[in-house]
Amino acid sequence: MINILVTLIIVFILQLILYSWWWIILVPLILGFLEKDSALKASVGTGLGVFLLWFGMAVYQWKNGGEIIVIRIAEVMGIGSGFVLALATGMVGFLVALVAGYAGFSLRKVLIKEYQIS
Amino acid sequence: MRLFKTILAFAVMLILFNMLNNSQGGIPPLGKFLNPFAGFWQNGEKLDQIDEVLDVNGLRDVVQVVWDERHVPHIFAENTYDVYFAQGFLTARHRLWQMEFQTHVAAGRVSEIIGEKALEFDRMQRRRGLLMAAETTIQRMDEDPDTHLILQAYANGVNTWIESLTPATLPLEYKLLNYEPEVWSTLKTALLLKFMAWDLTGRNSEMDMSIIQATLGEEFVNTFYPENTPHTDPVIPAAKPWRFEAMEPDSIPPAFVPQFVQDLRKDEPDEDNGSNNWAVSGNKTASGFPMLANDPHLGLKLPSIWYEIQLKTPDMNVYGVSMPGAPAVIVGFNKDIAWGVTNAASDVMDWFEIEFKDESYSEYLYMDEWIKSDLRVEEIFIRGEDTVLDSFAITRFGPLVYFGENKLENGHPTGLAMRWSAHDPSNEMLAVRNMNLAADRETFYTAIEDFEAPGQNFAMIARDGDIAIRHNGKYPLRGQDQGKFVRAGRDTLGEWQDWIPYEQLPAISNPWRGFVSSANQNPVGKKYPYYMGWDYDDYERGSRINDRLGDLKKIKFGDMQDLHMDNFNKQAKLMLPFLLKQIDVETLSGEMDTILKDLHGWNYVSAPHEKAAWVYKQWWLHLEKAIWNDELNILGEIRKIPTRSVTARLLLKKSKLVYYDDINTPEQEGRAEIINRAFKQTVLELTNELGPYGEAWELGRARGTDINHLLSVKGLGRTGLYTGGGQGIVNATKKDHGPSWRMLVEMGDRPIAKGIFPGGQSGNPGSPYYDNAVNNWVAGKYYDIHFLDSTDIDLNSKLSLTRLRNYQ
Repeated sequence: MINILVTLIIVFILQLILYSWWWIILVPLILGFLEKDSALKASVGTGLGVFLLWFGMAVYQWKNGGEIIVIRIAEVMGIGSGFVLALATGMVGFLVALVAGYAGFSLRKVLIKEYQIS
Repeated sequence: MRLFKTILAFAVMLILFNMLNNSQGGIPPLGKFLNPFAGFWQNGEKLDQIDEVLDVNGLRDVVQVVWDERHVPHIFAENTYDVYFAQGFLTARHRLWQMEFQTHVAAGRVSEIIGEKALEFDRMQRRRGLLMAAETTIQRMDEDPDTHLILQAYANGVNTWIESLTPATLPLEYKLLNYEPEVWSTLKTALLLKFMAWDLTGRNSEMDMSIIQATLGEEFVNTFYPENTPHTDPVIPAAKPWRFEAMEPDSIPPAFVPQFVQDLRKDEPDEDNGSNNWAVSGNKTASGFPMLANDPHLGLKLPSIWYEIQLKTPDMNVYGVSMPGAPAVIVGFNKDIAWGVTNAASDVMDWFEIEFKDESYSEYLYMDEWIKSDLRVEEIFIRGEDTVLDSFAITRFGPLVYFGENKLENGHPTGLAMRWSAHDPSNEMLAVRNMNLAADRETFYTAIEDFEAPGQNFAMIARDGDIAIRHNGKYPLRGQDQGKFVRAGRDTLGEWQDWIPYEQLPAISNPWRGFVSSANQNPVGKKYPYYMGWDYDDYERGSRINDRLGDLKKIKFGDMQDLHMDNFNKQAKLMLPFLLKQIDVETLSGEMDTILKDLHGWNYVSAPHEKAAWVYKQWWLHLEKAIWNDELNILGEIRKIPTRSVTARLLLKKSKLVYYDDINTPEQEGRAEIINRAFKQTVLELTNELGPYGEAWELGRARGTDINHLLSVKGLGRTGLYTGGGQGIVNATKKDHGPSWRMLVEMGDRPIAKGIFPGGQSGNPGSPYYDNAVNNWVAGKYYDIHFLDSTDIDLNSKLSLTRLRNYQ
C-alpha cells in the first residue's frame, strides 16, 4: 500500500515539473531497489501506483475539456471509448512500472547476495 | 538463477522503453503519446483558453486582441511591427504544426519527419526548384525594408510562440509523428508563397499534347484542343476593343517531337484548383452599394487552409483570410475596398527537352555550342537514415526536373527542364501589404503589379462605387500555341524573351453590364492580341454566373449566397435531353426504366438528394471514355482528353465520326450505340458499387465530401458530408475539393461582410474551433463578420479581450 502511494506521489510531482514519461520506469526501478522483502510489493505495488496515477490523470484530462480529443484519438487508435482509452493508458503505465519495479528489486537481491558471499 | 531473472527483467524493461519511446512504423511512441502529463491528453479545450493579459517578449508596444465567438483574433496594434508580430504569434498559437509542415512539404523536407518513404517526393520538390525559388525571392523581399520588417516581425512572433511551448502544449501532430518544431524563418514564408504558386500554376499538358500531336497529327490537336472552347464567355467581355500597340513575339517555335517521354501529370496539382469571383456595381444592388463575392476552390483539408483575422494599426484596418505562415490578409477588405481572387490559369510554365554532352550533365547544347550548366546539390536529410545528396543541372531554361535513362538517338543524355515564372525573383508580400492598405481602384492596381506569381484574376469593389477585374500577373510574350507543346531547348526559338507589358494585360472596370466575374475560363476573346495559353476551365461556371448576374436586379446578400451555392448543371442541361433521346428503351432491363424516368424528370440541379445528378455525371464520364480512351491510349497512358464542351459539340453536331468507334472491337460503333452502352455500363457499375437504386445513389451520399486531415489520419477529418455541386457547377464542391472560403462584402459607408470556410480557426483536433464551421458550410450558411474600429467592446457579449504586453 505504501509503495502504491509513494510511487503515485513521487511520479506525480516529477511528471508535473518535468513531463517525461520515463519517470514511470525510473521511479519504480529505484523504489523496487529499495524494497527489501517482497517482489510483489516492488513490482505490483509500484505498478498499481503508476496505474492509478496515469488512469486517474487521463480521466481527469478527459473530463476537463478533453472530450473532443479523446473521441478523436479513440477513433485514430481504433479503441471504442474514452474510458477504454484511459484504461489502456493506465495499463501501459502499470506494465512498464511492474517490470521496472521487479527489475529494481531483482538487482538488489543480486547485489546483496554477491556482497554477502564475498 | 536470480542473476538470469535480473538480466531478463532489465532486458524486458529496456525493450519496453525502446518500444514506447520511439515510433513503431506508423504508430506514435506510445509512452510519450499516452503520457497523461504531456501526451495527447493535454491537447484538449484548455489550449483555447483566452487570457486577459499575456506577457510576450519582443513587442514594441501594448497590443490588444479582441477574440470573437469563433475565435477570430482582431488585432489592434500601435505600429506596423507589432501588428505582424502579433499575427505571427497568434497564428502559430492556432496553426503552428500546419504552417511548419507545409513549409517542409514545399522545401522537400518531408523525409526528415516521416523517413525514407517521402524521399522521391522530396527529390521532386527540390528538382522543381521550389527551395531555389524561395531563396531568390527572399533575397528580393529583404531588399525592400518594408517587406523585410513585416516578414521579420511575423517570424519573431512565431518564434516567441514556439519558445513558450512545453512538451504538454506541443500541437498534437508533433506528438503523433514524434518530432519538435524548429525556429521559424522568413524563408519559410517565401516557401509557402512559392508552394501556393506551384499549386495554382504547376499544371501542364505539354507532354501529352506533344505525344498526341506526334501520334494523331496537327489537325487532331487543332480541332479538339482549341484555344477558344465553345460557349466560353471570357473574363473580359469578348467585345471589348484593345487600344494599344501590341508587341510581336520574335519567332514561332517549330513543331517538335520530344524523345524524352515522361508522365508529367502524375506529379501535378489538382486540375480543379480554381475559383469564382464577381463584383456587382451599385446600380444592380438593393442598397445601391457595390458588392463582391469570392470562393477559392482548393483541396479541402483540416486544419483549414485559411486563417481568419483582422489587423488594425493607425494607418491600416483590414479583415479577411490569411495563409497560415504568411503575414497580412490575402483575400478580404478594408474600409475602402474589397477584393477576391481566382486562378488566372494562363500559361506560365513551359517544358524544354535539353541535350547534354555526357552524363555529368555539366554541359548542354545551345545555339550549336556546349554551354556550362550550374549544378545544384541538395542535401536531403532522412529520419533514421543516412543523408542523401541529390544533384541536378540548372539551365537557362530552368532546372532539369526529369532526367535519367532516356538518351537521344545520338547517344547524348537528355532531360526536361522547367521554365516557370515563379522561379524569377518577385515580391508578392509587398503586393499583399499594399493591397491591405489600398484606398481605391488606382492604389489597388498599383499594389497588385507586384503580385507576379501566381497569376490571378483580381476582382475588386471600392467605396467610391468602382468595380473592376484584372487578369493580373507576369506572363511571357508568346507566339501562337507557344507553350502548348514540349519544345527543344537548343536555341532562342521557344525561349521566353519578354513579358506582356503590365498595362496591356486584360482588365476592365465599371462595364456597362454592371458586373465583372471570373471562373478560371479564358480571360479574353479572339480580339485580344496576345496568346496567353489555352488550357483554361470550361465555360459552364463562368457562363452560369454571368447568366444569373445578368438576370438579377436589386441584388441582396441572399442572392449572392444563392449564387455561391448554385447547383445548376449547365452541361447537363445542354446534353441530357439529347442523350436521353438516343436511348433505345426496348433494350433496357431491371431498374434502368426507373433511372431513365428520374433522368427525364431531373431539373439539372445537382442538389445533394439528387440521384440523377450522380448517374448523369458517371454516364458522361463513361461516354468520354468510350469516345477518347481508345485513340488517346498512347505509349501506355490515357493522354489528356478534350474538354467537356468540345466533346459535347461533337456529339450534338456529328452523327457519324470515326472516333465514336472503339478501335479495340471488331464492330463499328456509332453515336447512339456508345451513348446506350455508356448508360448501361453506368447503371451496372453503380449497382455493383452502391447496391439497388435508392438512397445510396444520392449525390450527397454516393460522392459527398470528405475533408481529411493533412496527414490523412482517420479520425482527425470530417468525412461523409452531404453535399451537392460538382465540377463545372458554380458550387464547385467535390469529393475532397471545393470552396475553401466563401466571402461576401458590401462596400457602403461601412463595409458589411459575411464569410465561412469549411473548418475552424484552431488547428487543434481537440478544440471545438477545429471544425465548428463545417456543418454551416455544408448547409450554405455564413457568419456575420465583425469588422471592428476599436477595442471598445461590450465584454458581456461573446467577444473577449486579451492584452499582449512586452515583459522586458
